Amino acid sequence: MLTKIAGGDIIDPVNGRLGKGDLWIRDDMLVGAPAGASADRTIDAAGCIVMAGAIDIHSHIGGGNVNTARLLLPEQHAAHQARPAATPLSNAGWSTFQTGCLYAKMGFTTVVEPAMSPGAALHTHLELADIPIIDKATLAILGNDDFLLSMIRDDASSQMIEDYVAWTVASTRALGVKVINAGAAAAFKENVRTFSLDDVVPSYGVSSRKIVKTLQAAVDSLGVPHPLHVHCNNLGSPGSADTAASTMAAAEGLPLHLAHLQFYGYGTEGKRKFSSAAARLAELVNTTPEVTIDIGQVMFGQTVTISSDVMRQFSARGSASPKKSVIHDGDGNGGGIVPYNYGKDFYGTMQWAIGLELFLLIDDPWRVFFTTDHPNGAPFTTYPALFELLMSREARTEMTAGLSKSAMALSTLAAIDREYTFEEIAIMTRAAPAKLLGLTDRGHLGAGAIADIAIYRRCGNIAKMLGQAAYVFKDGDLVVQDGEITHYRWGKALRLNPSPDKAMVRRLEDYHQQRYGLSLDWFNFPDSAIAREQPFGEVACRT
Amino acid sequence: MAVAWIGNRETLVERAAAHAAALLGSSRCPVFSLDTDIHGTRAAIALAERVGAAYDHADGAALSRETALFTDKGAMTVAPGETRRRADVVVIVGELPQIYHEFVGELAETVPDLSAKNQREFFLVGPNGASAPPLSNGRTGTLLSCGEASLGSTLAALRAQYRGRQTSQPVSNFDDFAKALAAARFPVFLFSGDATEGLALEMLQGLIADLNRTSRASGLHLPASENGWGSALASTWMTGFPLRTGFARGFPDFDPWRYDVARMIAAGEADLHLRISSSIVPPQKKRNRMALIALAKTQKPVAGAAVTIAIGEAGVDHEAVVYSSRTGSLRSVDARAASELPSAATIIRLVASHISAEVALPC
Repeated sequence: MLTKIAGGDIIDPVNGRLGKGDLWIRDDMLVGAPAGASADRTIDAAGCIVMAGAIDIHSHIGGGNVNTARLLLPEQHAAHQARPAATPLSNAGWSTFQTGCLYAKMGFTTVVEPAMSPGAALHTHLELADIPIIDKATLAILGNDDFLLSMIRDDASSQMIEDYVAWTVASTRALGVKVINAGAAAAFKENVRTFSLDDVVPSYGVSSRKIVKTLQAAVDSLGVPHPLHVHCNNLGSPGSADTAASTMAAAEGLPLHLAHLQFYGYGTEGKRKFSSAAARLAELVNTTPEVTIDIGQVMFGQTVTISSDVMRQFSARGSASPKKSVIHDGDGNGGGIVPYNYGKDFYGTMQWAIGLELFLLIDDPWRVFFTTDHPNGAPFTTYPALFELLMSREARTEMTAGLSKSAMALSTLAAIDREYTFEEIAIMTRAAPAKLLGLTDRGHLGAGAIADIAIYRRCGNIAKMLGQAAYVFKDGDLVVQDGEITHYRWGKALRLNPSPDKAMVRRLEDYHQQRYGLSLDWFNFPDSAIAREQPFGEVACRT
Repeated sequence: MAVAWIGNRETLVERAAAHAAALLGSSRCPVFSLDTDIHGTRAAIALAERVGAAYDHADGAALSRETALFTDKGAMTVAPGETRRRADVVVIVGELPQIYHEFVGELAETVPDLSAKNQREFFLVGPNGASAPPLSNGRTGTLLSCGEASLGSTLAALRAQYRGRQTSQPVSNFDDFAKALAAARFPVFLFSGDATEGLALEMLQGLIADLNRTSRASGLHLPASENGWGSALASTWMTGFPLRTGFARGFPDFDPWRYDVARMIAAGEADLHLRISSSIVPPQKKRNRMALIALAKTQKPVAGAAVTIAIGEAGVDHEAVVYSSRTGSLRSVDARAASELPSAATIIRLVASHISAEVALPC
């Protein structure tokens, strides 16, 4: 089938296309204008902005901890529209089905779940497989697991460590590797309550820095396209900007991605000893080209924090709203679920402003990524409002009027004039994420890309425009029309598939038998366990 | 071999499925009770949405106590692997289902390799005369009891004594327990909703929270039913809610009282019962002429069922994904004795295919 998207304002920074033009889709791929051919279907995109489908690199959309959060908070998702849906289960609040629909309506076509516990890989992929329409991917968590910490303690060769990382990525069907408060979950099991970059995990004698550096080197050496994805130590603490700065300095020329930097943008100034360090961190990002970051923007209202940083979540239990939480000591990281309501008080305002400062003070849209760390800073459904704040100084000023004046006095936000352009939005949410994840087939509108396309009808209201796409194509299939889902299709989970080293597999088999009394078979699974046709799509490692 | 019946009359699976679909389509209050694997659950929930049914686990009461702990209170939990490798004190809270006796025995036969202590002590919380699962080498767990007091009361007394408060009746062997806790690095409490009341589960979590003020401790959840907990997880990601959810209003509605399927049947609210279980379950007493559709591993029609369709057992007749309390997560299992018997999911989808709709089911 040949489809023509006619007369839209095309924004495709990768291919240098900015301006009115046509796009052509043959089946599931974008193609050049075919000579003399007539389209089977024409979409009139006059008055519309046409971009590639958006990619979210860090959103907790599925897996054990996310599901526990659903279980913990039935009252938060009970009230939903009681109307019949054309698409099954899509009006089930906070379900996998609704997740896919809500993302697609905004023009997002690929989303990365950034925290998959390797032992719960099957559970995670089953949830992702029930998220319709969009493609998904996951990052496997390492860095608090006994096997890795023991290898580092015992000075295992870098080859052995790479073999272990490769086996983990391959067996869990991950697209990359994440380390979350490296060493802290292991230390917490031994009753350590705070943990910084140069602190040492008891019983292993290994520092958090050493874990991060070891994994960073392994990921780079294996050719995993996405740099090591780091959740730093001391998340949420006043003074955590020092930790983030130290971690950035530890990149030492090799690629490193720091997740949800907003949660580390905290200084210790002012009478509350809580201030914005965003300008300092932004400057560091600007001058450290090997570092990429995503924001983890806070937006006001009720949410739930879901994190495999079990030490941090344990310490946050007292702020739970409503007053209930789950803390789980897992085989590696475990995790914590703490509901939270971001109010417009001093602290909430400070966090909100710090996120925006980071967005606006980091110069290069190729190295700053658009996230709320869903749902930790805010649910992803706040994205349209966040786009508006980034693209309109006036919207920021209006919002600021109702916020804490004492917090704003400690922030540079009011003095920042920058407004994101559509081209910068297209880089930050399309081109750059595809590059960061090694997904050459998306994030742009050139011939040969998969036909993931978001078309937005221009209007004065940015949030409305970007919140309800006029049309969305996923793999050439028109799945959204006038902001509504037309039908389901089933996307893939994108994964790497490095060949596991046989000696490492034998070693892991012995390890599991001896330490857990279980064969490795208990943790492996065939693709058929997912019960969808072609549940995975393979992405190549760098050669 | 016969695999499908309408009443007592043998028929083709296709016809039985069509008849089941017709019954579901004409029911005003269908209810499902599940004891099945993950994909059976997914298919059942998709069908429940289509026909406006409520669904519950076959032993809904025990599962409901466990889900209520999470929906109402929250918890501190630990993975089974960490329990084996780290727990230097193991406290068995009340009676555990038989299926966990082997794991408790395994804990008794091993030492925690990630703990400096390299040994385990065992305690049992329960009334006088309570017995723990057999430990190896003739070892026994030290009993912590308040005479004939309930488990909840005993846990309350234990918690109070730990905080240095007075109790009307002291817990037996408390000094031994306090001494063990003082030396412990990672005590773990084994609990299940099988025979433990909801308030006792909450009290246990209160004790664990108290212990974590200054040291570490956690609870290992050993679900009353592994299938039940697996279904609860799948239901939660599919609808946002655990079992005891209904689609009577066209969208998922979680109400642990209203959608207690056993209650709905006993009260005469349900007019159609779809029971999905590889095992044969005796029919429940009912007040009305409720029809039964039974999907079961059977070679003959289920007594009283309007439709019976034979299904295989997950992990025996066909490969499956199930919850494993040994790993604390979902697990893929091969067929131990592969047979021609179809999975529950296959039959449910076949039934659903006979219910007219514009769009396909998502599972």
